[in-house]
Amino acid sequence: MSAITPPPFASRSLPRLEAREKVTGRIEYTHHLKLPGMLHGKIFRSTMPHAKIKSIDTTAAAALPGVYQVVTIDDIRKVIPNPYYGPAFHDQPILADGKVRFAGEPVAVVLAFDKKIAEEAAGLITAEYEELPAVFDEIEAMTAKVLVHDELKPAATFADLKYLKGKKGTNIALDYQLRRGDTEAAFARAEHVFEHTFRSQQVMHVPMEPFVSVADWQDGHLTLHTASQGPSFVRIEIARLLGLPENKVRVKVPYLGGGFGGKLYIKLEALVTALSMVAERPVKISLTMDEQFFMVTRHPCHFTIKSGLDASGKIIARHCEVIWNGGAYADIGPRVTQKAGFTSAGPYDIDNVTINSYAVYTNRPPCGALRGFGAPQTAWAYECHTDMIADALKMDRVEFRRKNMLREGRPQASGTPLRDAEIERAMDHVLDRMNWSAPFDRGSGNIKRGRGIGIGFKGITSPTTSVAIVNLNADGSCALYIGTVDMGQGSDTVMAQIAAQVLNLDPASIKVIHPDTDVTPYDMGTLGSRSTFHMGNAVRIAAEDAKQKIEVLARELGLPQGANLPLVDMMKQKYGMQAGNIIGTGTYLADYEKPDAQGQTTKGTPFWGVGAAGAEVEIDIETGAIKVTKLVNVADVGVALNPKAVQQQLSGAGIMQLGFTLTENMVFRDGQLTNGSLADYKIPTLLDMPKSFINEHVPNAYDAHGPFGAKGGGESTTIALSPAIGNAVADALGIRIYDLPITPEAIFRAMQEAKGAPLEEDA
Amino acid sequence: MAALEIAEPEKLDDAYTMLGTEEGSIRPMGGGTALMLMMKAQLFKPSKLVSLRKIEALTGFSLSVDASHIRIGAMTTFSELEQSPMIAQHLPVVTQTMKTLANVRVRNVATVGGNLAHGDPHLDLPPVWSALGASVRIVGVDGERVVPAEELFLGYYETVLAQGELIADISVPVRPGWRFFYAKVTTRAEHDWPALGLCVGVRAEGEVIADVSLVLSAAVDKPTRLKSAEAALRGVALSDAALAMAADAALAEVHIEGDGRGSAAYKQQLLRVHLGRAIKHVMQGSASA
Ligand SMILES: Cc1cc2nc3c(=O)[nH]c(=O)nc-3n(C[C@H](O)[C@H](O)[C@H](O)COP(=O)(O)OP(=O)(O)OC[C@H]3O[C@@H](n4cnc5c(N)ncnc54)[C@H](O)[C@@H]3O)c2cc1C
Repeated sequence: MSAITPPPFASRSLPRLEAREKVTGRIEYTHHLKLPGMLHGKIFRSTMPHAKIKSIDTTAAAALPGVYQVVTIDDIRKVIPNPYYGPAFHDQPILADGKVRFAGEPVAVVLAFDKKIAEEAAGLITAEYEELPAVFDEIEAMTAKVLVHDELKPAATFADLKYLKGKKGTNIALDYQLRRGDTEAAFARAEHVFEHTFRSQQVMHVPMEPFVSVADWQDGHLTLHTASQGPSFVRIEIARLLGLPENKVRVKVPYLGGGFGGKLYIKLEALVTALSMVAERPVKISLTMDEQFFMVTRHPCHFTIKSGLDASGKIIARHCEVIWNGGAYADIGPRVTQKAGFTSAGPYDIDNVTINSYAVYTNRPPCGALRGFGAPQTAWAYECHTDMIADALKMDRVEFRRKNMLREGRPQASGTPLRDAEIERAMDHVLDRMNWSAPFDRGSGNIKRGRGIGIGFKGITSPTTSVAIVNLNADGSCALYIGTVDMGQGSDTVMAQIAAQVLNLDPASIKVIHPDTDVTPYDMGTLGSRSTFHMGNAVRIAAEDAKQKIEVLARELGLPQGANLPLVDMMKQKYGMQAGNIIGTGTYLADYEKPDAQGQTTKGTPFWGVGAAGAEVEIDIETGAIKVTKLVNVADVGVALNPKAVQQQLSGAGIMQLGFTLTENMVFRDGQLTNGSLADYKIPTLLDMPKSFINEHVPNAYDAHGPFGAKGGGESTTIALSPAIGNAVADALGIRIYDLPITPEAIFRAMQEAKGAPLEEDA
Repeated sequence: MAALEIAEPEKLDDAYTMLGTEEGSIRPMGGGTALMLMMKAQLFKPSKLVSLRKIEALTGFSLSVDASHIRIGAMTTFSELEQSPMIAQHLPVVTQTMKTLANVRVRNVATVGGNLAHGDPHLDLPPVWSALGASVRIVGVDGERVVPAEELFLGYYETVLAQGELIADISVPVRPGWRFFYAKVTTRAEHDWPALGLCVGVRAEGEVIADVSLVLSAAVDKPTRLKSAEAALRGVALSDAALAMAADAALAEVHIEGDGRGSAAYKQQLLRVHLGRAIKHVMQGSASA
């Protein structure tokens, strides 16, 4: 195990290895890839949210000069007899199969050598539908007669979902339950009971590089070039679809222009594979920015939280009813439902907890993982709820948190004890940066000012595995073979730093080999803040293995201890010339124990992601216009191996969540997305940044199980930001906003409502 | 987007010939920024675009010898206006409006003529030209005509221009003693299309609003002069009561539409608040004008 004092590189903000190549426009992206004889595919999409397909007329499209072929599910079935895929449920057809389940679903694809012709031809396809009643709201879907799927089809890979197989007559894909203590009895003896409901809206990842994949099917084996966060999963799932061994499917991933959880599992890969098999040519599909809204999004969430407190202000019971609107296909939603459900009672020490968390199908675009894996939606509820309770009990909002806070060693709702999780220090750091104890200007005239904080945490997907190979060439130069995808977070650099630390090399001299499943070993995926911890450990182990092999070699050669002969000389002695390799391997699987039927386990997460936030807002009470004038994000990342890269992760996650809090919202009318372009779906720009924007990690934190004390930090600052702003708004106005996003109109409406003069709604 | 032809005539007559008089798939192009968006969304599929960039008669902008008005050629780009000291001196509200209009890349190519001809009620400049009392010179095979900027618009994306007609230039009066301000009210992100655009001009005599010009856009289907509100304010001393009356008059005379940037009821509130604020702002003389 590593020493408690951070190693020397830990304070080094090494510039990214690929920085020069990126800014000079030379870096490799899938978008640049062209293969000889390659066809471009353009998707024709459903205009109906829920309908039977009566017919698809492709004649005009097929007749357009330059069109190679128009493909529907009937063609695909000839090459893939059971064309359904998905990470948790095999519920998604490669193209619509007799039915469409959301407006925007792929129905057919035009193939052409010229992308523009494919596009034009796709506009000539028509489809006839028999419209079916649809369901869009998650609460309605819980009990609706309208069924999105006739039958549940859980994937065999997840043993814990087996009980759902073949279930009919429901839109509930998964019901996660956690039971701790005796919640009912505790509510019965509680002095105070509070219940509130909060909602989060549907939003999208908006990676600057839209989805893109290329498939090349030849002689019974497949090569995929794809902008994916999880090449190993892609290989396993595609091999399953095709009935091939894994070594017949090769998945290559260059750099990504952002992923944020969207580019996980199977996205375009199944479609381009099928198309390449049908056309017997390489096929590429690159989505437009606007089409991304129909690929994968973030779950709208409806969360009713109820707490019982004793007379002293201690929370003794909590009931969480969390409903996730998963859209038309499950994607990884059932896992979001479980993992975010698991921490939905918040970072508080509560003896009696009941959690019900439901993944629900609706006729909306599918929802999956997005930076935080559901934790931001739950924290929006539990941290607003925290302030509301403190206010009602006339307790100080900070002291109320301290009184109830979950502390080191104490069991969280699942029974897993808190370990190396700096919740209180993160909060204190926020308070310090907010100058919390100084007098606060509450504004004047039509401007009211307020401030608020939030704290939150998340568990990390488990059990997951990472494998790394360290290869030392005969000249002593080093290459690192890993499946971690560098999508902008700087993983190449940090992994090189870890290997360099063990092997005493210059990290900038290490070559990181990018994911290529023919070359790089297995990794679960670049997701859920897991890479620095899991892959970082695998790299450390692999480097230590290589180091040990060098020591063995030195002994073999009879070198005196501490001779420190350069590797190249040792290799020459051993092989008679500059030849051979030293190969170190490392596999890391975090300690895990499956929860019991009550959701209880002592090892539910390999580490805890911890975030705290503070916000100051200014509100124009005549219009509801809101400005976040100060925003503080603090995360516990253990030891920051590359402080600069960490800081960028914290601020990046913060900006993203700021958009999800104030501006971003996928608006639907009768199941049709009405603002599916960046002109109308507003992500924050530089002009929306708070004047004071502070992003820091908790100093001197240490995760005993992480590589050199480090843990992940890519999501932590998404968790507590929304409630910090919601609480600041309430602090300014004395009015609570329950639904995200907090728009000026939402604020103004809430103010009018409070005055008893509600604003009229549009018809 | 399918392939298309782009012609670049150097003479107006050639442009008229190319455009013809039948509505169809041939259109003039200024900076092409609005056309490109419509083409990407497949709302418009041109067979041919007639670029106006080589026609000298449509370029340039200058102050008249008597300094009474400024002529701005249709092909003048936004950046040219934004960076002009002459415009900053005589039409400071135009310089002010440019700062939050689109972005540098768009402003470098978007043209005054294309902007007017587009007829999108969310654009920032049409209410400004209207409030300033600009007139638009329209040319075509049958000769030319001049229409006030505020009469150019018939409705949502609709103008009085016929196929084959071109905007040649606009003439903007220089109005000594007046101060103008354009309020671009965004509600979703700082940088956005306006939920409400409001151009306000006043000629103040002390505390009295001697004359006033008010044009509303974005919340309505075309830039619309708030005549009753103007009447309510003309000759009146500035007071909160006067502003409230003007706001009531404005709300009574226009039909406000809700959209993704705000419901109708909310936009009414925005109009009420921002009308008052904009007038106070120009009366205090701290306006851009
Ligand atoms: C990213 C982006 C952001 C934007 N943000 C804003 C904003 O914040 N505020 C704002 O106000 N606008 C904004 N715009 C819109 C922009 O102002 C308009 O696209 C621009 O003014 C149109 O001018 P153009 O010269 O490019 O027109 P073009 O695209 O060339 O033409 C537009 C229309 O006018 C016709 N036309 C062009 N010139 C003439 C002429 N001389 N006579 C007759 N007809 C003609 C064309 O046939 C076409 O129908 C934005 C645009 C983009 C792309």
